Amino acid sequence: MINRVTNQGLAVAAQRNLQQSLQQLAKMQESASSLKRISQPSDDPSGTAESLLVRSEISAVAQYGRNINDGNAWLSTVDTALTGATGVMNRVRALTVQGANDGALSPTQKEAIAIELETLRAELLTTANTQYLGRSVFAGTSDAGVAFTPDLAFTGSGSPVERRTGASTTIRVDGDGTAAFGEGADSVFALVDSIVADLRGGTNVGPRLTEVDERMRAILGQQGAVGARQAQVLKAQGANVSTSIALEAQRAGVEDIDLGQAIIDLKSQEVSYQAALAVTARAMQQNLMDFLR
Amino acid sequence: MSTFSGLNTAYRGLVAARQGLDVVGQNIYNANTVGYTRQRAVQTSVGAPAQVGPVSGQISVGQGVSVDSITRLGNEYLDTRVRSSVASSGYWGVRANELSTLQKSLHEPGKGGLSAELDVMWAAWQDLANKPGDPAVGAVLLQQSGAVATQLAVGYKDIDDQWSLLRSQVDGLAAEVNTAAGEVAALNGLIRSTLASGASANELIDQRSILTTTIATLTGGSVRTLPDGTAEVLVGGNALVSGTSAFAVAVSGSASMAGAAASPVSLVWADRPGVPLSSDGGEIAGALSMLAPGTADGTGGVLAEAAADFNAFAEYLVATVNAVHRTGTISDGTNATTGRDFFALGDGPAALGLRVVPTDVRGIAVSAPGAGGLDGSIAAAISQLGTGPGSPDVLWTNIVTGIGIATRTGLQQSVLADLSSTAATNNQRANAAVDLDEENLSMLTFQSAYQGAARMMTAVDEMLDTLINRTGIVGR
Repeated sequence: MINRVTNQGLAVAAQRNLQQSLQQLAKMQESASSLKRISQPSDDPSGTAESLLVRSEISAVAQYGRNINDGNAWLSTVDTALTGATGVMNRVRALTVQGANDGALSPTQKEAIAIELETLRAELLTTANTQYLGRSVFAGTSDAGVAFTPDLAFTGSGSPVERRTGASTTIRVDGDGTAAFGEGADSVFALVDSIVADLRGGTNVGPRLTEVDERMRAILGQQGAVGARQAQVLKAQGANVSTSIALEAQRAGVEDIDLGQAIIDLKSQEVSYQAALAVTARAMQQNLMDFLR
Repeated sequence: MSTFSGLNTAYRGLVAARQGLDVVGQNIYNANTVGYTRQRAVQTSVGAPAQVGPVSGQISVGQGVSVDSITRLGNEYLDTRVRSSVASSGYWGVRANELSTLQKSLHEPGKGGLSAELDVMWAAWQDLANKPGDPAVGAVLLQQSGAVATQLAVGYKDIDDQWSLLRSQVDGLAAEVNTAAGEVAALNGLIRSTLASGASANELIDQRSILTTTIATLTGGSVRTLPDGTAEVLVGGNALVSGTSAFAVAVSGSASMAGAAASPVSLVWADRPGVPLSSDGGEIAGALSMLAPGTADGTGGVLAEAAADFNAFAEYLVATVNAVHRTGTISDGTNATTGRDFFALGDGPAALGLRVVPTDVRGIAVSAPGAGGLDGSIAAAISQLGTGPGSPDVLWTNIVTGIGIATRTGLQQSVLADLSSTAATNNQRANAAVDLDEENLSMLTFQSAYQGAARMMTAVDEMLDTLINRTGIVGR
């Protein structure tokens, strides 16, 4: 009884098969045109979890990239400022050496040196108060506006400015104002002031040279540290780019479909749909009435 | 045996062949009628009359053929299988539909989902850590945090709307059950009286069979045919239709998801509202399982559990962000304070009430106490909340994956249930549907039988002609 085949059963089965074939074709077409393997969580729940994780990592890495660019700009600014300060200090040292020639210089000449030194001191103070996008790069997280006030007080707070360059790494991007320029009476500005005062007061400025050298070493030391950090930032930048490429590949591996595979699947599904149509057309045509007079 | 009985016998043959042809016609005309079960004229041969009296012992043939009934070639066992399989396919079909809708409302994975909004929000925190106090960056963060809150609220609202829509659909399904039950009861009456009068009720039984299958799709249930031809429909062991009376069902319980915990939605008898009706299959049971309230262990109704997950996520987000945000300082120019919240929850469901407290960058605690006005360490710490095992993002991913797995299972179950209901329907159709080739053959057979009977009648007629008109005219 169960094996009895009827015209209605045949028609319904054919229709259902065609419908299934067409459904499959629509699914293949959708995946081939969207090129997405996962369009809904139920397509692959564990793949979805991975996809969400990878997407959030991609977003984080993009943010690290922005942080790195920002940090690089900070460090370049600090580096430029320290290079400028070194240049100024070289001139200060030259002038100090020149001013130490007590016998050969007239008071007028000494006064000329003193005036130039005052200009250089002002330049140094400007350099120490260098800003990047409105923030003093030597003042840490202070919001006082300038790193060194005109009375040579350092306004910076103890905490450094840091940029996150990776999930677990942060890099300091500001310059240490006190280490580079000193503070108050110990500062490089006070030193230049003392040299000027010595020149004007007739004291030999020769002994000041050791102090000048000491301050120069401090600035150069800071510049070296900044350079090392900048190298670290650049390295992080390279690593960041390759991480983001790796993550994108991972995302594509989880979410995307292989185009060749998709097209082959689509084509073979098309063929099987056509075959189903042809077979249905043949099977549905015939019945006994065709052969009876 | 009478001389003329041959004519009568031939006439019976003609009538039987004609009735057989009529039944073949009925079958062919209804070859495509939904629910039609093929019929057959049942013929029996009529024996010779019993002989009594002194002249017995004479050999005589039977008296031809008679059509006893027109049988409906249905199979009760196959019908029962169809009803039980459509009940299961109805149950899983509703669940699969609702789960698909639920997971579509998540918009995951992709750029439109909550996870993408969260990623942007964490990045905005880091931007603010890089530029503390910048009004533009602060505004971006506030706007993005608001977007997260909105997305969460919209997702929750979607679930709530889906619940309400399904709730009103269940009312519609219950009304469908009542209509079908009423029609079955009416047909029972008709069938009983038709059968009592000796007529054929095959077409009425076909109609009733369609209706009982509809009831089975809606509520499950079993059907028992009684000797008087009426069918009794039982749902959860109790009669929905008995004889010519139908008992109405109704859906009781809360009309909103919020009230479902206090008064769960259930199917009850309309005349006994306190008594729930346990139907273990069918679309109504599927819908009721989706509408069930949540439970403490997370095994309640899918929609209520998803809504609870959204609330739990909102609460967790508020707790984790605020815990760090409170340690930061907010300065109003003269004095700095700590312990301020970034997110706050309103009354009602957490996912709907989530809002951002600060209105501008000055209200965001970016700096650690005593670390300088442009310190961004608190904002940096908050931006790192998005990564790691305990992050809100991981909680969200778990929610999405959970719903994805439930949907996948639901879809698979639905496909399997459909397969088994297709197989059952196929078997039923193989047994009950009309085969045109078979009917063509029957048509040929009955046509030949009719021709033969007519020829027989002619032969008897000629024989009688010989007897009446030719007898006794020998040699004339």
